[in-house]
Amino acid sequence: MTVDHVHGTRRAATRRTAARADSVAGIDAALMGIWADLARQGPADPTTILARTRVLTLVVVASRPETAERAMDAVLKLAGRHPSRSLVLAFGDPDGPAAIDARVQAHCHPFGGSSEVCTEQIFLKISGEACQHPDAIATPLLVHDLPVALWWTDDPPIGGRTFTDLVALADRLVIDSGLFRDDGRARLVSLAAHAREGLEIYDIGWMRLELWRMLLAGLFDDPALGPFLGGIERVRVTVARPGSVVRISRAALYLGWLAGRLGWRVDEGLVTSSEETQRCVVTRRGRRIEVEVAAEPVPEDRRFRAPGGLMRVELEAIAGRHRATISLVRGDDHLYAEAEIDGELRARRTAMIEPFEDAPYLADALEAPGEDAVFGATLALAAKLVGGAIEQA
Amino acid sequence: VGYRQEPEVSPRSLTETFVALRLEVQNWRWAGVPFYLRTGKRMPKRDTEIAVQFNRPPLSLFRRSSNEPEANLLVLRIQPDEGIMLRFASKVPGLELNVRSVHMDFSYGSAFTVEAPEAYETLLLDVLHGDASLFTRADEVEAAWSIVTPINERWKQMDARHPPQFPNYDAGTWGPAEADHLMERDGRRWRRL
Repeated sequence: MTVDHVHGTRRAATRRTAARADSVAGIDAALMGIWADLARQGPADPTTILARTRVLTLVVVASRPETAERAMDAVLKLAGRHPSRSLVLAFGDPDGPAAIDARVQAHCHPFGGSSEVCTEQIFLKISGEACQHPDAIATPLLVHDLPVALWWTDDPPIGGRTFTDLVALADRLVIDSGLFRDDGRARLVSLAAHAREGLEIYDIGWMRLELWRMLLAGLFDDPALGPFLGGIERVRVTVARPGSVVRISRAALYLGWLAGRLGWRVDEGLVTSSEETQRCVVTRRGRRIEVEVAAEPVPEDRRFRAPGGLMRVELEAIAGRHRATISLVRGDDHLYAEAEIDGELRARRTAMIEPFEDAPYLADALEAPGEDAVFGATLALAAKLVGGAIEQA
Repeated sequence: VGYRQEPEVSPRSLTETFVALRLEVQNWRWAGVPFYLRTGKRMPKRDTEIAVQFNRPPLSLFRRSSNEPEANLLVLRIQPDEGIMLRFASKVPGLELNVRSVHMDFSYGSAFTVEAPEAYETLLLDVLHGDASLFTRADEVEAAWSIVTPINERWKQMDARHPPQFPNYDAGTWGPAEADHLMERDGRRWRRL
């Protein structure tokens, strides 16, 4: 083992101590060597104490090298807020020779003026036979008695052996339904089927819908609009189609949320009615509500890192003899919502959209206490909307 | 590779490689305190620990939290990362009442820069000094065998050609499902190691 001080000058803002290893036992030895070395060095500021801190083990799976780098970047940004042992598993060539190449490091940050908090990161590239059993590599590296969060950074192969084995280790699963492959239907249905007691699922795709949910729900705070909630007749969600794929996973989650909150009954899933449109009918107390998901071609730019991002939501509703139309429209950096009653503007709201970054969503997913019950109910309905046979509660 | 797949080992071998036990000490001091022991070959990792799990209080003084706090735990880590860890529940800062388990962790490796001597170095030196305090006493050894001998004898009675339901496990796992059932019967589960 070699211990390499990347930068360790006294009073530096952060310092990193790193080592390399080529086996699980070697990683353990490297970690112990790093801690012994830090103990010998003492804190960067002699008036503070050096603390090894971790509140969870974060296992990150990256099936591509570029996502592994992005994941490591997000993990390091979180080190101060969520001190954890982070294990980034990057998959190399599965047909190559069996190999483990690990970079082990401790990051130390000054904290609160009285201590220097150190966290551990293990960046693990596995190839060959080792790709078949990543859980056997991850298990010995989990910290005793701490919860395990598994963040699957790419399209998760839900139901596959690798996925199932790694999820079995975890208390919390963080995925991004916006990255589900193809149109997202199959993954959404599999995810709903794999939701089990004791596994808390946090979906970054769902979390990114929060602004859309808040803005729409906020419009109905207006007493004049409240009565229209029970009289929605039509909903149209338009999603971005930057390439050729029409991905409807996030639209389905948004519609699933509406269905769950407003007591809509989903009897049939969305079916394709034209190249750009999918439709179904849901009911509320026997009344029909027309649901439509449309795709709109957009240029492939940073705004839409994956297909299926929401662009517009339009609702039509009646209350007595009055008719309301509600629309939410995505601009370059903001969301704009307005509601009209009988053609007259009644309410208007705007919200800023922050540029997407993994770290804040990951932080929220790790911080949230317990299960996200609203997501759980939404997921079941969204799966049914895309054609899964999930029982509606 | 599991034991039965090792070269020169019968694929139907009944040689024991794993044990999970629930024991009780029948005296007033330990009444109602179960002792769970688990050890085996080809587990996912090599660790030796003693964990003392504290009882839940009969009455929670906290208002309803969104998540149930885990039981407090005192862990004596014997090897490989010698140390002592105390786990307890702490309120997450903020206006909501959320509770999360936190650790107070003492590790010899990061607290002292001097390496501890190998276990046998200490014992051999104690032999030379005539100090028996780290050695097992004869009555302790007899008590241990009085627990293990009936299990061994029952095991020997098994017919290798017609074994009873044999609780086997894959290499690299935490033992057979029966070991989990042992804990589940008591409404518990093995700690995450």
